[in-house]
Amino acid sequence: MKVIDELLQKLPKDIVLVGEENTRPFECDGLSVYRQKPLAVVLPETVEQIKQVLKICKQHSTPVVTRGAGTGLAGGAMPLAQSIVLGLSKLNKIKFVDVEKQLAVLEPGVRNIAISEAVAEHGLYYAPDPSSQIACSIGGNVAENSGGVHCLKYGLTVHNVEAVKILTINGEELVLSRDDQGLGLLAVMNGSEGLLGVIVEITVKLTRTPKLARVVMAGFDSVRDCANSVAEIIKAGIIPAGLEMMDSFAIEAAEGFAKVGYPLDAQALLLCELDGSESEVQAELEVVLKVLSSASSIKVSNNEKERLDLWKGRKSAFPAVGRLSPDYYCMDGTIPRRHLADMLEKINTLSKKYKLRVANVFHAGDGNLHPLILYDANIPGELERTEEFGTEILRLSVDMGGSITGEHGVGVEKLDAMCHQFNDKELEIFHQIKAVFDPELLLNPGKAIPELHRCAELGAMHVHHGQLPHPELERF
Amino acid sequence: MSDNLSKLQEEIKSSNGLHITSSWLNHTGVEEYFSEELVITVKASTPIAEICKVLAKNDQVLPFYVENQEQSIGAAYANGAQDLSDSVLGVQIIDGSGELLNFGGQVMKNVAGYDVARMLIGSKGQLAVVTQISFKVMPRHYVGELKPHIKTVERSALREVIESRLKAVFDPRGIFN
Repeated sequence: MKVIDELLQKLPKDIVLVGEENTRPFECDGLSVYRQKPLAVVLPETVEQIKQVLKICKQHSTPVVTRGAGTGLAGGAMPLAQSIVLGLSKLNKIKFVDVEKQLAVLEPGVRNIAISEAVAEHGLYYAPDPSSQIACSIGGNVAENSGGVHCLKYGLTVHNVEAVKILTINGEELVLSRDDQGLGLLAVMNGSEGLLGVIVEITVKLTRTPKLARVVMAGFDSVRDCANSVAEIIKAGIIPAGLEMMDSFAIEAAEGFAKVGYPLDAQALLLCELDGSESEVQAELEVVLKVLSSASSIKVSNNEKERLDLWKGRKSAFPAVGRLSPDYYCMDGTIPRRHLADMLEKINTLSKKYKLRVANVFHAGDGNLHPLILYDANIPGELERTEEFGTEILRLSVDMGGSITGEHGVGVEKLDAMCHQFNDKELEIFHQIKAVFDPELLLNPGKAIPELHRCAELGAMHVHHGQLPHPELERF
Repeated sequence: MSDNLSKLQEEIKSSNGLHITSSWLNHTGVEEYFSEELVITVKASTPIAEICKVLAKNDQVLPFYVENQEQSIGAAYANGAQDLSDSVLGVQIIDGSGELLNFGGQVMKNVAGYDVARMLIGSKGQLAVVTQISFKVMPRHYVGELKPHIKTVERSALREVIESRLKAVFDPRGIFN
């Protein structure tokens, strides 16, 4: 292949990986059911080398799939058959920290947790904390607009990014900042899934570490009571730092794994973190305990160890569920909070219909659901049934006025579901926005936005903001 | 869909040149407000003061700096003068072809498709008619003193090119001026 020859010729040999064995580790991201080996993988060490890669790929009309740490859960970094993978993990320097202005300037390969570790001595941290934060990189976080458990109070990646420097497919540098006059191009780059440019530098906002954080754990006899208490806490004027909910199956799995004292007899569990000064936390705690008076059990962390223990169960829920089943499929829909209880009931009904178990772990505070569907890929047809089940959950999310993805992105996984959330005209606008930045469609083409003919073939019934075309019909 | 919007769509489809203002749009009122969801959806010509009054009943506020309370929310959005980007959740627009389109929504977390709802902040009525906007609101006591965000950076030549191409995407006939 000419493109491979030229990459090998013009770049240091040790940063270009070719051949089946060398490229295999890059054949998938965190969504390992979809795999594809690329033509080659390039792991540049400088921005100049990235420019060189883009130049060569453009000349040969070879698509480029940019990759961070490869922890994405939607196949956004999965290679395309005739593509080059541009892995940015070697660009991992923290370039500059401005303690006074609470800013850090980062290369794209800096790991999420490494930012907080580097600035901890100044009483600062980087707020967004996706569960893969020990491994995932900030460039990938921006590309996916990653979330975490603290989004309700501290925002998603887009709320915590001050500026990015991108390379266009032509290798031109473009800095997009909050201080820009004009359209909100910085926001567009967040969550653009590698389709618009290559992110080579990120300036993030650092947050002052709260003096105190305490967690309230509440067990409930009924899922509905637990879901309603989420709305009640917000109604009482409290914005918890984290507000997480788990169903009985998830409680059982997490407790079996982490052994931290979760109430095994509860139908649902709420974890509510409050942070701030001592007096702020105390005042919020009093309100929250009052709201949670109908809970069947209550525990409040009294020190940092207890707090981390209570979180440990939740944070290990995914691997804990992984112990119970050969495979599981993680969904990522969001819905308005008021529909939480209804959604859980519907997921349980679907679970029976598809004969597949589900563990529910929710970022309840912001209505972001992570149902984990348990399946066994070795049983013929089970993966297909799982995907159908998942698609039904995503359709429900849209019908309830929510979204098919809250923080994981569309990638290759949710292309069909996109047809349900957006109509042809809206999808066409998305395609044209891509063409503005990347007219030859070389950057991660085919991901994130479905082709219109794909939607037509699906024959998806389009629904907007819960307004069904025929509201009189029973649909669940 | 309200008759008002259908009429606007027809007007845009048959127009060769339009200058959008809040009074021309004349689309006011709170569409939906769920205090326990921290979400309000308002029609674009609604005066900011009116929105604040509704929110105040639940001790909630718009968590961004507003220079002029008499201004409409659509004008504040289109001029991008206030840093309201972090609070925008979704928009309904009519593009230059007269199509009614929705981007974003009423939920806090939503990464489906490009973030057009935030991209059009500062579009000054040049790309589309923004008819409705959804915002995240906050309890008053969580919002500190709000200051104007000063936009200082000069526009690069590349940004100019990208913005003019984006205008052509939303307003292919170039009718919004």
